[in-house]
Amino acid sequence: MASFHRTGFSAWAGSIEELCGLIDALRPLASSLGAPNPQDEDWYGALFGKLRPQVSREPVLVAAVCGGTNTGKSLITNTLVAAEISRSVPEAARTRHPVASLPQGLASRADLAALFPGFSLAPWASVQDAIDLGPDATGNADRLVWREDASGRQPARLVLLDTPDIDGTLRENWHRAELVRNACDVIVAVLTQQKYNDAAVRNFFAAAAAAGKAVVVVFNMIDWPRQRDRIGGWLATFTAETGVAPLAVYAVPHDFRAAEAGRIEFHPLSELTPDGASVDLAVRLADCDFDRIKLRAMEGALRVVLDNEAGANAWLDSFETSAKEWREARRLLTDEARVRVELPTAPREIVWNEIWRWLEPRRSGLDLTVSKVYRVAGKGVNWAARRVGLVRSEAERREDFSVVELAALKTALGDFIERLDDACRRNPRLAAMLDARLVEGDRAAWYADLERRHAGLPLVSEDYRVFVRNELDRFAKENPALVRFILTGLNVGAVARPAITVALGMAGAAAVPAAAASAGGLSVLVHHVGDVVVGTAATIAGEGALGLTMAGLKPLIERLFAGWSAERSRVLAETLHDVVLGDRLEEIDRLANAAAAPEVTRARQLLRDFGRELGPKVAAAEGREVSQ
Amino acid sequence: MTMDHARGESVDFASFDDLVESLARWSGSLPDWAPARKVRTEWEQIEPRLDRARRELTRMLVVGVIGGTGTGKSTLVNALAGCDLSPAGDIARPTTINPVVVAASDVDLSWLPIDAMNARVVRTDAAAVANIVLVDCPDPDTQTESGQGSGQVPHSHPRPSDSNHNRDILEAVLPACDVLLLVSTAQKYRSWVVAREVAAFAPGRPLLFVQTHASRDPDIRDDWRRELESQGFVVPQIFRLDGVEAATRTAAGLEPAAGFRELVDAIDVELVGRAARRVRRTGSLDLAGWFLRQSREILAPLREPVAQLSAGVASENRRLEGILSRSVASRLRASRADWQRILTSEIVERWHGGPFAGFLHVVESISAFWPRMRAAGSGLISRLLSGQTASPLSEGQAGWQAVEELGLSAAEVEQSRSVLCGLSARARLAEPLVGRARLDESRVATTVSTLLERTAAWLATGIDRLVAERRGRIDGPVFRWVCEALFSGLVVAVLVRAGWNFFIGHLWQGRVVDGGGFLQEAFVWVILWGFFLRWIAFARVRVGLDSDIQSLVARLPEAHLTAPLLADFAAAADATGRFIEQGDDLVRDHESLVAHLAEPAGGLGRLRGESP
Repeated sequence: MASFHRTGFSAWAGSIEELCGLIDALRPLASSLGAPNPQDEDWYGALFGKLRPQVSREPVLVAAVCGGTNTGKSLITNTLVAAEISRSVPEAARTRHPVASLPQGLASRADLAALFPGFSLAPWASVQDAIDLGPDATGNADRLVWREDASGRQPARLVLLDTPDIDGTLRENWHRAELVRNACDVIVAVLTQQKYNDAAVRNFFAAAAAAGKAVVVVFNMIDWPRQRDRIGGWLATFTAETGVAPLAVYAVPHDFRAAEAGRIEFHPLSELTPDGASVDLAVRLADCDFDRIKLRAMEGALRVVLDNEAGANAWLDSFETSAKEWREARRLLTDEARVRVELPTAPREIVWNEIWRWLEPRRSGLDLTVSKVYRVAGKGVNWAARRVGLVRSEAERREDFSVVELAALKTALGDFIERLDDACRRNPRLAAMLDARLVEGDRAAWYADLERRHAGLPLVSEDYRVFVRNELDRFAKENPALVRFILTGLNVGAVARPAITVALGMAGAAAVPAAAASAGGLSVLVHHVGDVVVGTAATIAGEGALGLTMAGLKPLIERLFAGWSAERSRVLAETLHDVVLGDRLEEIDRLANAAAAPEVTRARQLLRDFGRELGPKVAAAEGREVSQ
Repeated sequence: MTMDHARGESVDFASFDDLVESLARWSGSLPDWAPARKVRTEWEQIEPRLDRARRELTRMLVVGVIGGTGTGKSTLVNALAGCDLSPAGDIARPTTINPVVVAASDVDLSWLPIDAMNARVVRTDAAAVANIVLVDCPDPDTQTESGQGSGQVPHSHPRPSDSNHNRDILEAVLPACDVLLLVSTAQKYRSWVVAREVAAFAPGRPLLFVQTHASRDPDIRDDWRRELESQGFVVPQIFRLDGVEAATRTAAGLEPAAGFRELVDAIDVELVGRAARRVRRTGSLDLAGWFLRQSREILAPLREPVAQLSAGVASENRRLEGILSRSVASRLRASRADWQRILTSEIVERWHGGPFAGFLHVVESISAFWPRMRAAGSGLISRLLSGQTASPLSEGQAGWQAVEELGLSAAEVEQSRSVLCGLSARARLAEPLVGRARLDESRVATTVSTLLERTAAWLATGIDRLVAERRGRIDGPVFRWVCEALFSGLVVAVLVRAGWNFFIGHLWQGRVVDGGGFLQEAFVWVILWGFFLRWIAFARVRVGLDSDIQSLVARLPEAHLTAPLLADFAAAADATGRFIEQGDDLVRDHESLVAHLAEPAGGLGRLRGESP
């Protein structure tokens, strides 16, 4: 017993615990990735139901009585514990909760909740418990009723369980039976001539065999002794189908009256039992080699976890598969979701004013005076022209500009949505991710949001002022000689109509990112650099010194105009990011990067370690036991 | 009596045929809509069954005996047939793999797809199966579930059950059955797999429920009934019998036990002769009802979205009309010069024969030489106002440009269409039922030209009416005479004064003639007076123009001018809404037919409308 503790799996308790933590941490990610829910997988049951609770705890042996509806599980359990712990009724599928009979004192020694993960435990009150118990206070409907053996005859380390059915119309019963199957070491398989070859029954016991559970087969409701010689054939079918190698085989004659009285007798079928012994079932359970069975069950559970096709690794592989698809989806988005915003040409005086604001303190008195004179004169001419109605007032022009600009932004928004729609149609994963937004979202509200943002947009934002100052400072430092030509350049060459692109892309490219863009991730970007329609006036005026100057100034002026327009497009980017797409972009990023999550790497590492150690370690442990 | 009954029956069948025809038409009426296609698929699955039921109204019923393995299906079939036809027993599960068809020796089975069912035919002369065809079916519960269900370990080595396809065979056999005889035992009556298979094939098929193994198992019929009712079945009766015992008694020539006798009687009463027709008819009606319920379930989640789309089309149309009417109003108001010109020419053209009229004509012809400061705009409204209503279409080909002249930008239209695209997606509407947010060139050309045509026509009428109404104000003779009199009065006064000056002042009193000075002065006054009168006349025409424009434009939504821009969405919302409504109508038709044909269900169970 002590050797099990030292050499068994308890040394791995830390790693198992860590692996469980990692798997739990990865579950939300898995469900968003569309990877299978691990709780439906056998390896998960083996890991969480068997390895984690039992690896370092007092090595009790858990024996569970399992089988189809109305095959007499409760009756057999009651007989084994020599007390009526679970009501046996003629109606099928009535035992809805497992009932555990514990050896005396175990409840105070052991943490039962840890021993039966997934269950909400309830102390036994009556034989009706297994039939009537409802969900607990937290809503967990999976209850497990426990009772300590009153007679004191139950072996000190043996826990006996009656379980719900595995093939009835109540699927939650199946689930509870599976939880019990995961947690137990020995299964008493109750079979009948009607059910020994049912697919549901076969599935259940095949999983038990694969997890290394020891199985004792009980054929119930036998027309004794007429059917005795049939049992060999049935058992052969059962073992061939499930891979179960039974420790022993028993027959229970069909006797309705005896059953009603709670009396049944087990006939050991020594001819079908490997060790050939004719031992009573209760005695066999009490006398079996606990440590060896326990070790085998633990090893079996670990093998299920490590299984290449259906184990935890396969689950982690599905991360990679889905993440690859998400990367594909992300690529599709960055390729497809980009629109050109056909903004109207920026009102020249806005940029002009900003440059003026920067220039003013730097210019000589005369220059300044001349310029001021020009400005005043210009204003006068403008005023006169406005009066005669030839030129619209500045406010009117702003209004016109604003209308055209809003129309351009709306068109771009519509385009963008349509492109997203198309991308979703081509990629089902994107559709699953974005449909909640694109289909269920209130599009009228998106446009309203864009209008609101646009209306609230100051003509010149503080960001843009900073941008202009920095650009001009930089330019002045690089080309001190050209500074005085800036205004000229502005007047002559600056009719740039910047082409602004709003796109989904990987941040980090040359761009003006949207307000809430995450660094390095997928986000809505406003591009303008290197994508500017060049003004035409420069070539007209391209003579002599001025031409040369223009060549140097052009990029600067363009950048200043483009910067302003990009600032304006930012409202579109913000609407797209905040209202249309919400957190979906971050989510896509997260999923695309899922396979590289540190948890995945660490979990794989642990699984590799287990795999390396499993073979020799078990062999050594078994060898020691044999030598004892 | 029998004649009446037959006639009544044929009438009922005629109305049922009508229902089937309507169902067929309805289910295929909107193939471009995915949910309607799904309805169609459902229909295609049940249509052959309904068809066959009507064609083969008189042939005998096929009763499929189904149930879990080991429940004694074959034993029961043998007991009914009176001899060992189908192997039964406890040697190995499953016993029956290929279905066994049991029929009386003189029954023609050519209509039964024996080969497709992979069945073996056995003939018997037992009275219990003299007027039905009995099929001993394989079990549904020994074949391994594929890919479904938990706790399944993929195994690499082959297993005997890999070759077990009993459920597949069962699913091939059941479509040929008219009635299901569900056999169960205490161990199997709550089997999930059996329940699933029965639920899949129960629509339109009456059922008989039998608990076997009566001599060994307790009576679980009450609990089974509860279970079946919870699954949505009507369970008038469950028979309880022991197949082995029944077979022994039959072989020994003994009177059958009560349970078995009840079953045999029920078969005779419920499934033979006229009862068979009734079974078929209620089965068909149930099947049609089941189809309608399925369709309703398919369409239920779409009712709300379709209604939302309808509302969306209306509200987006309102929005666009609002934009259009605002901008049309402001443009009409802004075109002062055009109004002036239109009204001037109206006044001038209709005012002849008088000094003032002469004055107006002179002013008009002089001003014709005057270069127009503001040339007539090229916009639709300016063109309309200047009377060039002939062909707004020539520029309609230019696409949005022309609409934007009206102040309705492509961006606004696309916004509306994009919003409706979202609502359409919610209603699972896609191309070709609805278009895209951005209209392609050809569609732009057609919708825009329609829009322009309609707007131009509507505006032209409106402007004409407005002008005509204003024209009426100065058409009155009193106003004219007053104007003419006032103008002529001054002219006459000037002439009289000039005459007085000359004849009295100069010739008579001998005052010095002050030359043409007075006449020149007077001429200026006459002209000024003329202009003043002209201003009065125009003012009379012009007063209240703004509010008239406002009220003209207020009527714009009634004209539904923007409808063509969103026409595809409106049409799709209508079509889908109609489809759903027609489905509801058919449900009502079916209900009234059921109420009309209501008959006692007898001892046969059936799948109720809705599960409780």
